Amino acid sequence: MLEARNLHKSFGELVATDDVSLEFGQEDGELVFIVGPNGAGKTTFINLLTGFLSPDEGSIVLDGDDITAMSADERVDAGIARSFQVVKVFEEMTVRENLRTVVLTERGKTWSLFSMADGHADVERTVDDLLSKFRLDDAANTVAEELPHGDRKLLDVAMSFGLDPDYLLLDEPTSGVSTREKEYVIETVVEVGREAGVTTVTIEHDMDIVTEYADRVVALHQGAVHGVGPPTMLETDDELRRLLLGVGE
Amino acid sequence: MPERVETDGETRYRFLGVEATRREAVALALGVVALFAIPDVTRLSDSLQLSVIHQGLLFGFAAVGLNLLLRHTKLTSFGHAAFFGTGAYATAVLAKYAGLQSVGLLLLGAIAAATVMAALVGALSLRHTGLYFALLTLAFGQLLYAIALGQSALGGSDGMPIRPGPANQPLLLGTTFEPAVYQILTYYLTVVVILVGLFVMYRITQSPFRNALDAIGQERTRARFIGLPVRRYVWAAFVISGVYGGVAGGLYAVVRQYVRPEGTLFFLRSGDILFMAILGGFRTLVGPLIGGVVLIFLQDVGQDVTQYYEFLTGVVLLVLVYGFPRGIVGSLRSGGVVSTRLRQLRREPSAVADWARSAGRTAERKAVESLSSLRIILFGVD
Amino acid sequence: MAGTLETALVQTLNGVQFGFILFMIASGLTVILGILDVLNLAHGELFSIGAYAGIGVFGFVIGVVGPPSGVLGGVVFVLAVLVSVLLTAALLLPVGTVFEALFLRAIYDRDQVYQLVLTFALLLILLDVKKFVWGNTSLRTDAVYSAINSIPTSELVGLNYPTYNVFVILVGIAVVAGLFWFFDRTKTGRIVRATAIDREMATAIGVSTDRVFTLVFALGAFLAGFAGAMAVPPTAATLGMGTNPLVLSFVVIVIGGLGSLRGAFVGALLVGVIRSWMITLYPPGEIAAPFAIMALILLVKPEGLFGTWGETA
Repeated sequence: MLEARNLHKSFGELVATDDVSLEFGQEDGELVFIVGPNGAGKTTFINLLTGFLSPDEGSIVLDGDDITAMSADERVDAGIARSFQVVKVFEEMTVRENLRTVVLTERGKTWSLFSMADGHADVERTVDDLLSKFRLDDAANTVAEELPHGDRKLLDVAMSFGLDPDYLLLDEPTSGVSTREKEYVIETVVEVGREAGVTTVTIEHDMDIVTEYADRVVALHQGAVHGVGPPTMLETDDELRRLLLGVGE
Repeated sequence: MPERVETDGETRYRFLGVEATRREAVALALGVVALFAIPDVTRLSDSLQLSVIHQGLLFGFAAVGLNLLLRHTKLTSFGHAAFFGTGAYATAVLAKYAGLQSVGLLLLGAIAAATVMAALVGALSLRHTGLYFALLTLAFGQLLYAIALGQSALGGSDGMPIRPGPANQPLLLGTTFEPAVYQILTYYLTVVVILVGLFVMYRITQSPFRNALDAIGQERTRARFIGLPVRRYVWAAFVISGVYGGVAGGLYAVVRQYVRPEGTLFFLRSGDILFMAILGGFRTLVGPLIGGVVLIFLQDVGQDVTQYYEFLTGVVLLVLVYGFPRGIVGSLRSGGVVSTRLRQLRREPSAVADWARSAGRTAERKAVESLSSLRIILFGVD
Repeated sequence: MAGTLETALVQTLNGVQFGFILFMIASGLTVILGILDVLNLAHGELFSIGAYAGIGVFGFVIGVVGPPSGVLGGVVFVLAVLVSVLLTAALLLPVGTVFEALFLRAIYDRDQVYQLVLTFALLLILLDVKKFVWGNTSLRTDAVYSAINSIPTSELVGLNYPTYNVFVILVGIAVVAGLFWFFDRTKTGRIVRATAIDREMATAIGVSTDRVFTLVFALGAFLAGFAGAMAVPPTAATLGMGTNPLVLSFVVIVIGGLGSLRGAFVGALLVGVIRSWMITLYPPGEIAAPFAIMALILLVKPEGLFGTWGETA
């Protein structure tokens, strides 16, 4: 279980995370969506969980161990992976090389100076598996910077997934993706995550997607937790609806 | 024995993990033969000197090391002379004060000293990236230069001789030789070291370690978030690249039997080493080595022709930066500038006039631009 | 006891004086680094050209003014020296402009290694241009140093200290004040700082970044030339004189924090004074001491004493 306990984070005057306590993964493979208006502190929260930022106060606990002081790379080893809102992949590598690099790292093989990078059969099998799961086979030999946007998003998620995480934190995996591709991206993510029993925490703005796929919804507002509940919350909580849609005053 | 493999409809040969097409294999074989033949070739002409080519190979070897950082982690070290100089001075100190005579032991000492120095400088400089990193490596390099210049035990600006033992010469295989023979034998030693060093570097650039370095160079944040302890990896790469510099410096000391701060540690030497990598093509493995030979050769010729050879070097650099950013090897490769332009030229010889015209137009536009900027700075906006 | 105290005071003043010169060099370098994201390796050569050109300008202007006599003559002479320094520095404005507009602008979007190689190429070219114009031997001008020293200042408080050094310190204070005023109070200065904080935002509100870049580079060259002309009277202009100030400026930038003007000021004085103290306390430490401070800063506070410039000057 991944827990945030009383997290605080502010940037100067701006309070980005205000006493947030949340728990993820009471059941394996849980699909949680984080919703909230712009500036609600969603990305900051994920940054805190993954070690991109450190909190001013509060702690992060993984399966009972306090990991607040852990560096980002150690948290990855501990089973927490993430993707980025703005795609961060290794631009000059092909899709296959991107995934190979990830899997080599996950298997602890990157200190090997004299083996062949493409000569680890188990790694190559996992890479092939990832390529087909995320439907990137056709693009396998395309250099990342030349990929269409939807595929870049998928590659980003596939890389996080290739780390074999217990917890996968996705920062708007569908942002900037066309409506048609959106469904495709999120379906792939959900399918693969369910199959492997990975607890997924996703920031998402499209409420149709949230309603359709979420096991649980976390709503943030002005850095604080507005509410936690089933996706039906989006229909029943009028204040939340107003916050998200900006309707009424 | 070489093994044939077919990939993507291309026949490739694989030997000890080195994979090459037929063309590359032939080029490699010719290169090795050329390296071994150089002492005989230089006897044919007075304008070619073995010592110049030898020195070019040594600095080029240091550039091969620097290139591990430059090509993969995208970090530009402007202080690689520090490790070249550390290797050279370690050799001199061991020969003078520890009485070591064997070339092998002297080189081991050079490697050890360069490793320690690179570990230290790396630990401090790698707290930053980009230009800040370049600035730090340059500063630490100049510190070593200043120390060598100031210590009388290191000979100050006069430097130190490496003439251990009664024969005034380091021992190769426990024996001393005539100076001319010594020069040729140490050259062959250099060739062997370079071939081994290139092979090792090739294997490193095919290994998972290279993937980690590439990842760090291309997207540092993401590299952290796939679980790479970034600083530890770049530090390891920094030390490896420093060791190449140390080996080259140690050999330099053994060959020249004299080290001076100006020739080994001064920051212009660091610039030279970086320049060699760019000149030869820093996106290639052997480019920096070729860049080393070409640059040292040009500087040697330049020194005979004019006292303004730094100017010439600077102009060559400018041409390189604007005209051939991929360097000699990079430009000669298929798809490079040279082959593209040659093809264009074969098709349409008048293309030369177009190039000249467009270059002239660019120069003119730039001149007008800078004049107008100057006017604005001096007299304000209109 | 009084003797050691006086030595300590003199060494401190020497250090402060050198610190001001260093600040003039480092400030340009750090602002260029902070705004253009360019490490100008040729900056030391601009300083050195300032020294060489300064000797010529001094000779000319002082030939016109003549040696100082009386109070009025002294004032006129000091003003003449100041004008000479300003003229010399102005000579470097076109150099800086051409550097930026002609050479650097074309490669901003390329790999960083190319701009390092480019400024290195310009360094090599300038080295030989100096050799071509001014020859291989060192040049000096004694007239300015001895004439200004003949004006009594420190003697008035019973200290034997060269008036020229006092002059450098006073001018240095004026330059520091002028720079802070420029960046804090003038419109152009604020535009430059806005560009440092957010290049895209500055472009969006109609700032021509091209022009800001050229201006900043020219300003850096101006300051380097100014420093060169101020530094040369007590010593001599030599071909290799650009290297040490360049490297010490690096040290200053690391200590003060990338792109921070205030950091450059504190760093320059710190380096100047500590170096100067080492000369009497432990001579071999003179070279290493600034680097030791730099290493310490890197270990304890890698972002430097004053972090990044922009929000506060």
